[in-house]
Amino acid sequence: MELARAAREGDESAFEEIMRRYSPRVFRFAAKFFRQRSLVEEAAQEVFLKAFTELGSYEGRGSMEGWLTRITTNTCLNLLRSSKRRPELTLSDLSSDETNWLDTNQSAEAAARHKSVERSLVAADLAGRVLQTLPANDQLVLTLIDGEEASVKEVVDLTGWSESKVKVQAFRARRKMRQAVEKLLAKGRKGHERKEFSS
Amino acid sequence: MRDEHIISLLENASFAELSENDLVTIRIHVGDCEGCLSAFEAAQLSRLLLQERASVEFEPPPFFHTRVLATLRERQAANDSWGFSRVWRAAGALASSMAAAVALLAVFTFVVPENQISSQQVPNGYSAEEVILGQTAQLEDASDGQLLTTIYGIDEEPSR
Repeated sequence: MELARAAREGDESAFEEIMRRYSPRVFRFAAKFFRQRSLVEEAAQEVFLKAFTELGSYEGRGSMEGWLTRITTNTCLNLLRSSKRRPELTLSDLSSDETNWLDTNQSAEAAARHKSVERSLVAADLAGRVLQTLPANDQLVLTLIDGEEASVKEVVDLTGWSESKVKVQAFRARRKMRQAVEKLLAKGRKGHERKEFSS
Repeated sequence: MRDEHIISLLENASFAELSENDLVTIRIHVGDCEGCLSAFEAAQLSRLLLQERASVEFEPPPFFHTRVLATLRERQAANDSWGFSRVWRAAGALASSMAAAVALLAVFTFVVPENQISSQQVPNGYSAEEVILGQTAQLEDASDGQLLTTIYGIDEEPSR
């Protein structure tokens, strides 16, 4: 609260200290929504610029971290809304690593068997590609609830949406994500069958 | 109906929120239903992908704070100059109307009266003293009695 007050009064070093303390958290949070590092940096920068102009509204009731996380959520949501959505993801859009990941991970058990750092990065990229086909609100709830395992109430606090809106949004988003992955798996299986038949 | 039931179970909550009972129901069902099996596998993979996505972490780059502060200063400077120009624009209308009013007043004060004076050929000196003095100048050659009559309106005739 002292830092916030000092920064509000124009103390640049106090604001720099706020950034130093909370930027790792802001970066970690923003990284869940964007695949490119440049977008994560853009989001984090926008978060702190907004935070500086809105310091007057921070009354110190909740934690500074919570306040910044809410700003980060809204900033990321706005950036997701302004970024271009892919119409649909097909197998031809995937890299060879991503196609390979799908081939070897036809089930969650198989995925657990083949788990490695490199494959996790491939999976993260693939998840980003699938998410890009969904609307911004769907991306947000899926990332928070299914990815981060946040509760509905936590998402309500972060977004300011009603509980029923969060639940309905999550329900629809899960369906769209599942259908997109199911299509990719089905196409992958068909491709395998064709290869086996021709050989 | 049973297929829809399983799928709605998958979509109503995240995997972390599914109870043991739900999972058992799902596993039993997908053993018989191919459609639900592929939906279940896709749902599991979706969850896995999202978790991998959520586990990605970025650290702030070395000069991130400096860059933000520089951007902040730039924006503040832009806001200040914008604010000044906005005030200037708002005050500009007032200032120009005031200047116009002053110019009009100056015209009415200095130019118009001079024109009127020159056109009417009004002699200088309109005060009573000057009128009287003017008249006295004319009456310099007059007698004392005429002078008194002119200035004080005293007629010496009746006293006689």
